Amino acid sequence: MSDILIDDRIRDWVFLPIIIVMFMIQMFRGLLTKYMDNRKTSQKVTSKAQLAEMIDKNITQQSQRLARLHGLLPDQSFKMKRAHLCDHESGILTKASQKPAKDPMQSMSMMNPAAMADMLKQNLSGIIFMALQYQWVSYFFSGFVIGKVPFPLTQKFRTMLQRGVDVQNLDVRYISSISIYFVLLFGGLQKIQQLMFGDDNDEFVDDTQMQMQMQMMGMPTMPSLGQQNDPGKLFIAERTRLEGVKHTFELNKSQDKAMKSLKRFLMQ
Amino acid sequence: MEEPKVELDDLEVNQERLKQNTNQLKNLRVYGSLNAGIIAGILGMDGWIGIVIYIAIFLIVSACLAIKMNFKVKEYFRSSYDAYYSGIGTDLLLFLMIWVIFHNLVNIL
Repeated sequence: MSDILIDDRIRDWVFLPIIIVMFMIQMFRGLLTKYMDNRKTSQKVTSKAQLAEMIDKNITQQSQRLARLHGLLPDQSFKMKRAHLCDHESGILTKASQKPAKDPMQSMSMMNPAAMADMLKQNLSGIIFMALQYQWVSYFFSGFVIGKVPFPLTQKFRTMLQRGVDVQNLDVRYISSISIYFVLLFGGLQKIQQLMFGDDNDEFVDDTQMQMQMQMMGMPTMPSLGQQNDPGKLFIAERTRLEGVKHTFELNKSQDKAMKSLKRFLMQ
Repeated sequence: MEEPKVELDDLEVNQERLKQNTNQLKNLRVYGSLNAGIIAGILGMDGWIGIVIYIAIFLIVSACLAIKMNFKVKEYFRSSYDAYYSGIGTDLLLFLMIWVIFHNLVNIL
């Protein structure tokens, strides 16, 4: 199949507009998320179930922190803290793990409507933009070939990449405009947006990536917080972990470490 | 490129500096794959040679990083695998996108 010559006007009026528009929409979404985040007030703990959830979360955080940073505490304090959490009768973790497992229907985050509304809003805005762009591209720019992919592909990709173009023997490398849309979508206008929005927003970046993944897997039915299914097991796990911690106070090793780093410094 | 030093001790790595370092590394990788895509697109590379260019530029970026760190990886990142080789698949899609765009702009349209 000889090379197809593509008109200049396709480049001016189709290729570049699609790229520019999608990029702008991505930037706009970023600004929108930033704006929403700024306006969001802190959530108040309203219901009793929510309060219980917060307490559980704090307990697990405390035990995890203890398990991670135990070297900073001298022996006596560590033992006291561990007993406070893991004691057989009165430790917090044992008491918490004896509570009955929460009803899974109840403990989903429908109990805090503010968080659920936020998540829905985020997801919806992302999905609306995706659907809008898809409709726009496929309505205005369907039925012709836009460009060529540089790598060879099998025939299976023909339906995906040449939607709307009905020429049977056309090389699979020639693609229609919807495929440019997909390439841009999956390829990561996000990353370029990240470059522009700068380094001050690490959490922002994680949120959009997570959001993209959630969109691709369909509407999420449950937030992936494992505590809500069976908190008892989690607490038991935390307790066994804490009890198995071999505690050494790091200050005892500090002389050796100082010697080592001094030697390393003098060797240079 | 600013890479503050990270002191590794047994207890805990200085988290903020490690995060800053990995952020800078991520930015660096994005620039690298952008450039690789532009090169592959403009030169009209076809097929598998393009992917080879991507890997080559990725390794060049890692080599420059090593020279900048004076080869002391442990002071800046957790491991040398992390610093040099870890993100190679994630930026591949970005490279493909830029390659397709520039290849079309320069050679075909």
